[in-house]
Amino acid sequence: MAEIQLVDVSFSYPGAAGATLEQLSLQVADGQAHALLGASGAGKTTLLNLLSGLLSPDQGRILFDGQDVSRLPGRERHVAQVFQFPVLYESMSVRANLQFPLTNARVDVDVARQRIDHVSAELGIESLLERRAGQLGLFEKQLVAVAKALVRPDVALVLLDEPLTAVEPKIKWQLRQVLRKAQADLGVTMIYVTHDQTEALTFADQVSILTAQGILQSGTPQQIYEAPAHEFVGHFVGSPGMNFVPAALFDQPQAERLGFRPEWAALVSPSAAALQGAVSRVRAQGSQGGEHVGLTTIVTQHGEVHVHGPLRFAVGHEVGIQVGRYVLFRAQQQIGTGRWHAE
Amino acid sequence: MKHLSHWVLLAFCIYLLLPLYWLLNMALRSNSSIAGGFELVPASPTWANFGEIFTNPVWTQAFANSLTYVGLNTIISLVVAVPAAYVFSRYRFLGDRQLFFWLLTNRMAPPAVFLLPFFQLYSAIGLFDTPFAVALAHCLFTVPLSVWILEGFFSAVPRSLDEMARLDGHGFGYFFFRIFLPVNRGALGVTLFFCFMFSWVELLLARTLSGSDAKPVVVVMTRTVSASGMDWGVLAAAGVLTILPGVLVVWFVRKHLIKGFALGRVT
Amino acid sequence: MLNKPYSNRAWLGVLPVVLVVAFSAVVPLITVVNYSVQDILDFNSRFFVGLEWYQQTLNDPRFIDAFLRQLGFSASVLLLEIPLGILVAKGIPRQSRMTPFLLVFLAVPLLIPWNVVGTIWQIFARADIGLLGVTLNAAGFAYNYTAEPLHAWLTLLAMDVWHWTSLVALLSFAGLTSIPQPYYQAAELDGASRWQIFRHVELPRLRGVLIIAVLLRLMDSFMIYTEPFVLTGGGPGNTTTFLSQHLATMAVGQFDLGPAAAFSVIYFLFILLFCWLFYTSVMVRDETP
Repeated sequence: MAEIQLVDVSFSYPGAAGATLEQLSLQVADGQAHALLGASGAGKTTLLNLLSGLLSPDQGRILFDGQDVSRLPGRERHVAQVFQFPVLYESMSVRANLQFPLTNARVDVDVARQRIDHVSAELGIESLLERRAGQLGLFEKQLVAVAKALVRPDVALVLLDEPLTAVEPKIKWQLRQVLRKAQADLGVTMIYVTHDQTEALTFADQVSILTAQGILQSGTPQQIYEAPAHEFVGHFVGSPGMNFVPAALFDQPQAERLGFRPEWAALVSPSAAALQGAVSRVRAQGSQGGEHVGLTTIVTQHGEVHVHGPLRFAVGHEVGIQVGRYVLFRAQQQIGTGRWHAE
Repeated sequence: MKHLSHWVLLAFCIYLLLPLYWLLNMALRSNSSIAGGFELVPASPTWANFGEIFTNPVWTQAFANSLTYVGLNTIISLVVAVPAAYVFSRYRFLGDRQLFFWLLTNRMAPPAVFLLPFFQLYSAIGLFDTPFAVALAHCLFTVPLSVWILEGFFSAVPRSLDEMARLDGHGFGYFFFRIFLPVNRGALGVTLFFCFMFSWVELLLARTLSGSDAKPVVVVMTRTVSASGMDWGVLAAAGVLTILPGVLVVWFVRKHLIKGFALGRVT
Repeated sequence: MLNKPYSNRAWLGVLPVVLVVAFSAVVPLITVVNYSVQDILDFNSRFFVGLEWYQQTLNDPRFIDAFLRQLGFSASVLLLEIPLGILVAKGIPRQSRMTPFLLVFLAVPLLIPWNVVGTIWQIFARADIGLLGVTLNAAGFAYNYTAEPLHAWLTLLAMDVWHWTSLVALLSFAGLTSIPQPYYQAAELDGASRWQIFRHVELPRLRGVLIIAVLLRLMDSFMIYTEPFVLTGGGPGNTTTFLSQHLATMAVGQFDLGPAAAFSVIYFLFILLFCWLFYTSVMVRDETP
């Protein structure tokens, strides 16, 4: 296990117009499960390839436990990777697959056997050990691929590249749980790359939001959700994302815009609130205490606003929007958070 | 391994090149120069051998004959194989697997086995010594091959394409000729390539089924003995000319070829 | 495969193929089988002889010799061309401006008429005018493929390697390009050596195309006729006479219709048998874990 640091890393593909990554810095603590969340085109794959040693940075340094590995090939960095689809030696047995990296790393035979038993018990694949990898189902194969990444005792970092893409939605949840538990039990440093915010927020200790402009924020899932450092983060995380309105409406002259999550607001009569509009859409999402709750979309003069909560108003109604908690932004950067006690 | 294989590739390319170079070398020299001694580079290159071929009606007729039966064979093969391949890729029917397997076994039949019966068959129906005899005889090998290659490509085209055309209200004829075949241009190109390749390179049946009128170029080449012995220069020049159509065809379909090979559906 | 609709109207689509192939294959095959059980003095006087021609063929030392030579030739060709073809394919760059030209160049020998292949090698290897022959003799080897059986064999093998290795190489290249990059990356991170990557990543994924390559080379080398016919004419003596040439001599040269027909049937069955044996053996191995 290792602590991972990227210091001012830049990279551009030969022949490409601009840099894919510029002056990027990132810190992942030893034993941490870290998610890299970003839309496609944000440079996730490039970052992953820099970490795995497939690419070398043009500038900057990559440190594993303080040691510069920027120029080392992947095999000398002790990195393991799980891919979007299961990558195994399909003609070998599952056991031979797990044994393979251990043999190449010259791990003692007895240690290797213990390690294989331990990891396969952790992932619940003991019964598959003697089967041929090519004969397994997609889900089982991906479990074995995870096991293969975790099995090396000297592994410094495990990279997961959208490992649940190929798996059915129903099984995704299960695989994520298994993965999370194994990560915690074995204490491995993991970097999990995904474009799926639910995956990122439920899996990781720390989440970093990657865009073409670099990493906008690194923090716990709660920090990311409740105190986005940048308007894009607030907009990108959450479904739907954060609402933004002019801060002046709420007497916040130090800020330009004010953001609030749909569930931080409540619908009241138009006269009771600084922000008003007409209900344009209502989407029920269940009931709570005998009352329907869901998402109400209101068209205001500052754009559409989404509010989550009891569904008390039908389409066409004029309503007021009362905001409880908020985040303030200036020049898109967050400058503070706050709450009113009037929910 | 990586470095080794690069050197192997280089060595292999040189190995491929040497005999071809020598063929060209011979084609550009007069017979007296060939008999006179060894010249790594032709000392006084001449186009006379090529001139001989282009002006001698035996040679020009032979090239015309060859291209005729190769063309006929390719057309027949494609016309019968396309519907069959479509049907194999889209439907199950009584005896489909057996039929497919039977077709493939014909690819395993040695042409020598068919020498005599072909000779008798085509003599009996009066096709002997016409391009049709050779074209039909080659169909025995090119048709199963075409069905096999096309079936591989067609199966890779999702059936939703058929459904979509039907939902759009197109008739089957419109769908097949205006949508399906254009989508499979590459497949048709690859098939054409392999029909051409088989029919153009074959000698045994072509020789047996042609007398004097329909004599193909490959046969004329086996008989280039003049009064002064082997006419090496002309033979080499003819050899060079027989390579050109193949090079043209492979250049034409080069983009589709590797895809065809990847489907494992090839000669 | 499974969810294709069942329809016997589909037979209409395959009918033309069945007709063409039946005309070209079934009629002649019946003729062959018919001849193989008769003694034909001329086309008006023939009588049934049962399996006599089959017995005669199988006991004919010339047949057995040609058969053994054929086995030796096909085995040598496979042993040379399959590994060499894989190596060549591994050397072809995946994404380079050179690649299309290289592939077209490699395909050239496959498109040369077979007798021209023979001619090219004749011109190339002759001791008096050939680049190879002259060079070898100048280097002190008394090389003459028209007189020395060993030289004739080596020249034939060199020619077949020249002619057909490209097929194996192109098939293998197609197989290699279909391997997704992550397989290589994973093996690299696992610390796999180049040999291990070849053995455990590439070879299993080349299996499909290699089966096709082996089948094709097995079949075609078993049928080889034209190239040795032009290059060596089966000689010196009978040392490079393979099955097809033996058959052609019997049928067209000597007009021994009955024995030639029996020979044909046996020949065809042997090829089917070899292909079937090879195919089932790889398929059975596929089933076992």
